[in-house]
Amino acid sequence: MIITKNIKMADVIHMNYFTLSVLNRFGIELGFGDKSVQDVCKEYNVDSDFFLEIVNAFVNKDYFPKKNLQNFPVKLITDYLQKTHDFYHKLKVPEIEQLIEDMVESCYAQKDNMVLLKKFFNDYKKELANHTQREEDVVFPYTIAIEKAFNSEKPDDSVFVLMETYSIDIFKNEHDNIEEKLFDLKNIIIKYLPRPKDHKLCNKLLHQLFNLEQDLNDHSRIEEKVLVPKIREMEKSIIKRFTKG
Amino acid sequence: MTKVTFAICEKSFLIRKGLVSVIDKIPDTQLVQQIENEEEFLAFTNNSEIDYVIINKTFLKNIALKEAIKQLSENSGIIVLTDNSSDKFTEIIHRGIIYLNDSQSIILKNIKEITGSNTVNGKSGIPEEISKREADILKNIALGYSNKEIAEKLFISTHTVVTHRKNITRKLGIKTVPGLTIYAIINKLIDINETGKLNPDTHK
Repeated sequence: MIITKNIKMADVIHMNYFTLSVLNRFGIELGFGDKSVQDVCKEYNVDSDFFLEIVNAFVNKDYFPKKNLQNFPVKLITDYLQKTHDFYHKLKVPEIEQLIEDMVESCYAQKDNMVLLKKFFNDYKKELANHTQREEDVVFPYTIAIEKAFNSEKPDDSVFVLMETYSIDIFKNEHDNIEEKLFDLKNIIIKYLPRPKDHKLCNKLLHQLFNLEQDLNDHSRIEEKVLVPKIREMEKSIIKRFTKG
Repeated sequence: MTKVTFAICEKSFLIRKGLVSVIDKIPDTQLVQQIENEEEFLAFTNNSEIDYVIINKTFLKNIALKEAIKQLSENSGIIVLTDNSSDKFTEIIHRGIIYLNDSQSIILKNIKEITGSNTVNGKSGIPEEISKREADILKNIALGYSNKEIAEKLFISTHTVVTHRKNITRKLGIKTVPGLTIYAIINKLIDINETGKLNPDTHK
């Protein structure tokens, strides 16, 4: 079901409670009574069309509004992506770390295996941090510079220098698949780890890993299907309009 | 390494002593408690933190102990002791069965399989998911060797190594080198100390 601006915000959460994390990123807090999506967005000064596209893309993999999303300003998209980064590092990763730590504590029969999991996730955490850091330091500023040049009549020379050293396709090529290790970790726990003593803890951990994976997938879809094509078009247009030969 | 802890619930003095001597032969195990009757059993289940409990089926058949056994099965792995090889024990969650008529070697093998400490001779079994050859390749991947190095070591072409890798990944559902390394360690294809550090991402 597609979420529209006249649906009650409360029903959006009832439909799929994972949307809570999306709301959170837009700074929307609970307690909205029977207000519609549009009214709540207005209250929080959020672009309701953008919110709808993001939340629909999040809930429904098949609904992926590439075209619609590409119409929004780059800054709106990168701000959203930036907030997903914060969500991973400040919330999800610490939660998972704590659960793994609890498993190490509770499972002395296979402590070695649990320590391995801990090490694995720790490495993953570093990898994820590098990944998001690079996006924030290099990719997002680049996309904003490109958009600025695209909208200007006479772009600054610096943007051409920038474009000589970097392009969105470089990002696309070096954009490694950050979900793979998470997928492996899940499979190791589900299929190969000797039965842990505390299965409730183990289920909680899996729940969190699935949750993080889903969110990362959504994050990558937005980057690869929205941000990259949008910037590539702009790059082409800039080159066509402002360079000779 | 932390020891795997055992308790024995058995009325017969002779059988208890027999089990004690069997468990003694398995490395890294520790017998924590011997329970001789129902009263002791009830007292024991109230405060137990034991990995495996070997328990005579007469305890399981006792209605008065039903709740205590259920509670026990949530915290510890239950291994049932029985004299009848056709017994099944579907009503209780258990990790395995020991038959009184089995030879020492079979009982040893059984307990080792259940507890996963299958390392008595330093040998390890090949996990059922993959072939012997694939296990060899996997072992080398986990040790951090590149495709080329593995090919040279095993006298096969790099192309063959790549094919094996694809098959391993497909069969196991594990794509990354660190993931495969953990699998290899859990299945005792390699020892954790052999890996040095668990981040051989450089070998892609």
